[in-house]
Amino acid sequence: MNHAEKIADATREIFSSMIMLDVTAKEATKRTSPDFVNSITGMVGLAGTSKGNLLIHLPAPVATAVTTVFLGMDVDSIDDDVCDAVGELANMLAGTVKAALDPGGGDIKLSMPSTVYGDAYCLDCQDCGISVLVPFDLDGAEFSVELQLVDG
Amino acid sequence: MVDMSGAALEFAQIITTAAEEIFATMIFLDLTAGTPLTEGKDDLGCYVTAMIGLSGDFNAMLGVHCPARVGMAIGGAMLGMDLDEVDADTKDALGEITNMLAGGLKEAFAEKEVGLHLAIPTTISGNSYKLSAPSGSNRILIPFDIDAGRFYVDLKYSLT
Repeated sequence: MNHAEKIADATREIFSSMIMLDVTAKEATKRTSPDFVNSITGMVGLAGTSKGNLLIHLPAPVATAVTTVFLGMDVDSIDDDVCDAVGELANMLAGTVKAALDPGGGDIKLSMPSTVYGDAYCLDCQDCGISVLVPFDLDGAEFSVELQLVDG
Repeated sequence: MVDMSGAALEFAQIITTAAEEIFATMIFLDLTAGTPLTEGKDDLGCYVTAMIGLSGDFNAMLGVHCPARVGMAIGGAMLGMDLDEVDADTKDALGEITNMLAGGLKEAFAEKEVGLHLAIPTTISGNSYKLSAPSGSNRILIPFDIDAGRFYVDLKYSLT
């Protein structure tokens, strides 16, 4: 299974089982721009025999809609609840992708999640090795999940 | 230092020692450590942040937050060149410094038989970004001053 398939499977599984939302994976690509507008990114580091980052990038309206369903509470702008929900999503996605990358479970561990948000921010990776970004459709809106991986 | 637990105090000392060593041996800039804090604003008025995840016997995210002029001064000193914008060279240098700082933490904790592994650094830049860690996580925020101004080293961690 290639990395794009692992990301697509993990994302579909997390969204359908934890948030009860169906998402459709689009064709995998590489991120073409470091710039994000009115968005939030959740990221988790992967460390061990392979190292990297798992990131989920959501436009603000998608993040608030997903959080509303995920937490069962109305949110209309990015606040602490949205940050916690997006960080937790990144953590669950990283855990599922890690299980596919490291079936034995002892080689890769996850860092603490972190979220970045704002009207405009630039996200760059130095020496990020393999970089795969899978866009997803969620009821006509789009978000993406990205894996950066350097084999140790 | 206000209400700092034993673990927080130990973390702050390890971070300060690692930062002082890196600035003395790799960047050659005089550095003054300020008082470590265990809480602070998410928005520190900075333009560029380099961060890296750590995992192992505890989980953490280490960040170095700089105003643009401070980031350029640090990156320029490390690379031996004048930097006049937060460009790819500045971000590479700050990412590498954060990686080295995380390496210093890994080494210091290894001596205490606490195992850590490093992820890979990421830089965030812009005029309006904010960073958030999970609710309930711990934080050590240390201000450092160089001639160009103040920057911050920020460790958010969970011991569970």
